[in-house]
Amino acid sequence: MARYNLEKQLNILEYALSSLWRRRMKSLSVLLVFGAVIFLLASFQMVTQALSDKARQVLAHTPEITLQKMSAGRQEGIPLAYRDKLAGIFGIRRVVPRIWGYYFDEVRLANYTVMGMAVDEMPEGARLDTALARGTMPGPAEQGRAVIGSSITNALDLAGRDTFSLFRPDLSLKSFVVIGEFSRDTDILTNDLIVMNLADARDLFGIPGGLVSDLCVYVANPTEIETIAKKISDALPSVRVLTRPQIQKTYQAVFGWRSGFGSICLLSALAAFVILAWDKASGLSPEERREIAILKVLGWETRDILAVRFWESVIVSGLACIIGMTAAYVHVVYGAASLFRPVLMGWSVLKPDLHLLPRLAGGDILLILAFTVIPYLAATVIPAWRSATVPADSALGG
Amino acid sequence: MRPALRFAMFLCLLLALDGALFLDGLARRKAQDAALVKLEVAASGLGLTDLAVATEARYTRHPAVSDPVAPFMDHPGAIEHFPTGAFWLPPQR
Repeated sequence: MARYNLEKQLNILEYALSSLWRRRMKSLSVLLVFGAVIFLLASFQMVTQALSDKARQVLAHTPEITLQKMSAGRQEGIPLAYRDKLAGIFGIRRVVPRIWGYYFDEVRLANYTVMGMAVDEMPEGARLDTALARGTMPGPAEQGRAVIGSSITNALDLAGRDTFSLFRPDLSLKSFVVIGEFSRDTDILTNDLIVMNLADARDLFGIPGGLVSDLCVYVANPTEIETIAKKISDALPSVRVLTRPQIQKTYQAVFGWRSGFGSICLLSALAAFVILAWDKASGLSPEERREIAILKVLGWETRDILAVRFWESVIVSGLACIIGMTAAYVHVVYGAASLFRPVLMGWSVLKPDLHLLPRLAGGDILLILAFTVIPYLAATVIPAWRSATVPADSALGG
Repeated sequence: MRPALRFAMFLCLLLALDGALFLDGLARRKAQDAALVKLEVAASGLGLTDLAVATEARYTRHPAVSDPVAPFMDHPGAIEHFPTGAFWLPPQR
């Protein structure tokens, strides 16, 4: 019995394949449109998932608490004297001041992120040289030395020299000697960075003594981060307190379907699908109705006709799914998500090598199947059932 | 050749391609895991809070330390006009 059923299904599958081949131009166009929709959805899902994944892995090492001073809704310099107020809070292990900001290069129209700090005070600061492709990090006493991200080497055209100059706010020039370059492996974090010591950053940005951009606070017991953050908020009401879990949470929510581009991807897919479903649900063509009627006259039952339509839909949607998802993976991994880069990076002049590698979990595949294949099956089988229940003689015009 | 057999062969070809991509993905994953150590050192040693993906606007360069209202703070009535603003959601706090 089982063998009979298997043989019957195989024959029905063969009939479905022949039927698709007979209407090959139509089948191919549906397959291509359907595959393109799945490619779009899967590419977006893979890019956002790979970026969130990377952020989750690397941002587990951000400062436990970051303090910024706010005034009139904007960030401003935070007094170094605040460290004295923090000294009374039990559980704080270390407070490291930083000066950082953006430098807009008007010649190259590029934005650099300039950071100044005493790296030897930071956790893992002594190991930072291992993140460099060449050179060493500047020491606290080394004035006018900088370590730069790999894109800055290209932007400043530093291939044959190791000095460059940046303008201070009063338009006087400050020169730097490049003593190291970050590895391309760290591009996703350090691509646009220029790292120097605190005094150089203060001089470059013209920040008065006694002020810094933010304070990185490290605690003795990581389970007490929230408690200590609350104590800091109480002690320094004008300060914005950002904790490591908040930063990690931001990156788990910052890429998603609710973003403008994500919504466009989703809505285009839905619109394409609705058009497809409308076409199917509005009824079969006279040829298809005649074919069904002939099959019924020849002795086919309604459930056999439904099985043919089901197999046709499974073949088209399954193939579209495999082709669309494979193309999306190739686009993201080997093509570096090139179709999305204009939106993902916008007018950025410095563009990192992202090295995206999505982790395809069962849930992600199910999400794409649920949005595409399952509704398509429903949209094709239901009109076939309506048509298959029509008496054969009326369908043939008898 | 029966149509089902031809179809099965085409399907096998696609699955073999996916298998090759999977194997290459495993090798790439191993290389990425090795690079992850460098990324962890850079994040920890410099106290980095954000990914350097979009460098055009400060709120997409450093979303974790920016306010959701930052895109509209340049002047009264400012509108958000950077392309990356369409991809990145504002931080949730």
